[in-house]
Amino acid sequence: MLYFAVLVEKWGEYFLEHLGGKRIFTCAQCTAPLTNRDQLLSTRFTGATGRAFLFHKVVNLRYSELQDRVMLTGRHMVRDVACKNCNCKLGWVYEFAVEEGQRYKEGRVILERALVKEVEGFDDGESVDSSSSNQ
Amino acid sequence: MGAFPLTHKDKDIIRLIGQYLKNTGFEQTADKLVDESGLYLEHPVATQLRSHILAGNWTKAEASLAELHKLLSSDESMMKEMKFSVLKQKYLEMVEDGKLIEAIHCLRYELTPLKFNTGQVHKLSTYVMYDSLDELKEMANWAGKGYASRQSLMEHLQTFLPIHIVLPPKRLDKLLDQAVSHQIHQCKYHNRSLSPHLYDDFSLLTDHICAKDSFPSRCTHILTQHGDQVWFCRFSPDGSLLATGSKDGMIYVWSIDPHTYEFSIKYSLEGHTYGVAHLAWSPDSKHIVACGPDECGDVWIWDIETGELKVRMSHSTDDSLTSVSFHKDARRFVTGGTRGQFYHCDLEGNVLDSWEGIRVHCVGCLNDNKTVLAADSHFRLRSYNFEDLSDQHLLQESHSIVSFTISEDGRLVLLNIDSEGRLGKNALISAITCHVTDIPILYMYHWYPYWDLKNNCMVRKLHGLKQGYYAIHSSFGGVNQDFVASGSEDNKVYIWHIEKESPICALEGHTQTVNCVHWNPANPSMIASVSDDSTIRIWGPAMPAIDSPSTSRSPYTSRLPQGGDSFANLSGRCTPV
Repeated sequence: MLYFAVLVEKWGEYFLEHLGGKRIFTCAQCTAPLTNRDQLLSTRFTGATGRAFLFHKVVNLRYSELQDRVMLTGRHMVRDVACKNCNCKLGWVYEFAVEEGQRYKEGRVILERALVKEVEGFDDGESVDSSSSNQ
Repeated sequence: MGAFPLTHKDKDIIRLIGQYLKNTGFEQTADKLVDESGLYLEHPVATQLRSHILAGNWTKAEASLAELHKLLSSDESMMKEMKFSVLKQKYLEMVEDGKLIEAIHCLRYELTPLKFNTGQVHKLSTYVMYDSLDELKEMANWAGKGYASRQSLMEHLQTFLPIHIVLPPKRLDKLLDQAVSHQIHQCKYHNRSLSPHLYDDFSLLTDHICAKDSFPSRCTHILTQHGDQVWFCRFSPDGSLLATGSKDGMIYVWSIDPHTYEFSIKYSLEGHTYGVAHLAWSPDSKHIVACGPDECGDVWIWDIETGELKVRMSHSTDDSLTSVSFHKDARRFVTGGTRGQFYHCDLEGNVLDSWEGIRVHCVGCLNDNKTVLAADSHFRLRSYNFEDLSDQHLLQESHSIVSFTISEDGRLVLLNIDSEGRLGKNALISAITCHVTDIPILYMYHWYPYWDLKNNCMVRKLHGLKQGYYAIHSSFGGVNQDFVASGSEDNKVYIWHIEKESPICALEGHTQTVNCVHWNPANPSMIASVSDDSTIRIWGPAMPAIDSPSTSRSPYTSRLPQGGDSFANLSGRCTPV
């Protein structure tokens, strides 16, 4: 009970968005909602903790400073992302891909499977976000 | 006594009128008013205080103050401050008269024991050694012995006293000023600067309202020199020249006759292989830097004093540079594009610094010579400091920021947001003004969750224009930068007052998308708009101030006959929205 009370208090500090959807990905530590299955682009990525997913849009994140990283697919500029609510590290976002063929990843977010939880949501009709999918 | 019992409001008005009469010297009329109404304008003790102060009778003035103290049982510190002000006046007058012994006596035995503002007392003591009277007045910020300084002392004291003792100074004037400024605020077409004597321009006898006639709403010129879509236009910062860039690869620099407002080509700047999509004037109006569309990696730097190309800056063939903005120092500029180039350059075309990892849609410099705002491919507006290489997140949009402009004072940013054409014909959400620097928050919407940046907030969404496919550029303008003008894909130029969400007028005349609008920075009633229909239109007041002879028509300028019905389809119309 005490843990829950602390949680509620912490949630009050930040305005947390919710994308809705039937299958929701949340922060494994504090259960703040992050994204849903409709935003999932690929499951074939690898992060520091193993398996990682690429998402189109993820909300309730904090972003680190820009970092230069050479990955298996070339040089990228990324920002580490953490949960806005509990500041727990979750993955990274691609800011800039030097290789033209990797540009599709720009603005997309990697969440490490081990750091997020997939939970049941409910069908709220249309998914909230498809608006930025044209970019 | 009046015929009816006076209401509370009546009593207030009579006191205001009485005070006004007294201030303007109608003493007898004021006395008569007091007599007849049975009201007093101020408490007798306050009247005494005033007469003692104006007469320079300091001992008696202090006695009046003591009496007021008893009357008010006001707190000690306020009383001390009032007494201090009176003694300060006394002291300064003694210094001016050269009665130094008395002055020092006053300082030592009257001012110091008050223990009010010791710092001030120390400062006052230095005035004893002044060289000239002017120096004393300047040091003490004081009008000198006499009516003016005593009157302002009394007005200062009045601010401490409650209204049943004495009215605040010049109360009626203040109320009327408020009314006028409210009326100006409400006036949709208010676009003229005010003289320091506000009431030379206004009558209090009617509500102020500006006629639409003086507002730029009529097409005065159609310039047809360009051979293809015109993409961009900017007046020079001094307002004497207009540069227009087109898909035909040309920049025309038009000079504007300061008397007749006729436009003639001063320079034809050619060689922009891909067309001219963006250009920037240096703040000293001496240079133009021009960029092309996406596939163009070159930047042209033109000297506008000679009309010569200074440098064609070509860094790499893979570059794309599509937006440019000058620093205030007129020696350095920034340019960038969506392939990841973001350069800080000098006038010789050298890249001083470059920023990696950002795809720039639009850049703009603030007035501090170091901060650059850039809209990027992640729908963000961020600020970049090329001096210490720091950057900061300003805001995040849900759609692409196609272009933005910064107001002259750097307080407001106007964003043009791409609606991606998905919302169909009635896509209305397009331009947003935002505060960027640390000034008070005006409007904060709870659904705008900038939890990490307290000072940036949306001020207003301006709607009404259509934007979905093309890069459209807008402009602040008018006196005090109170207006915003923007092009639109429905061939109109829309104008908003920055206090209002809906456009106040739409200028019709262009036959295709209006790509760019710019308001002349030196002439608040001149707007230029450029369009895909290959024309440039100049908009001016409906009632032109100057009648220029229509014979002075140049080959590339078609000046519209004033009020000619047969040209009704050509001339611009202004429709109320």
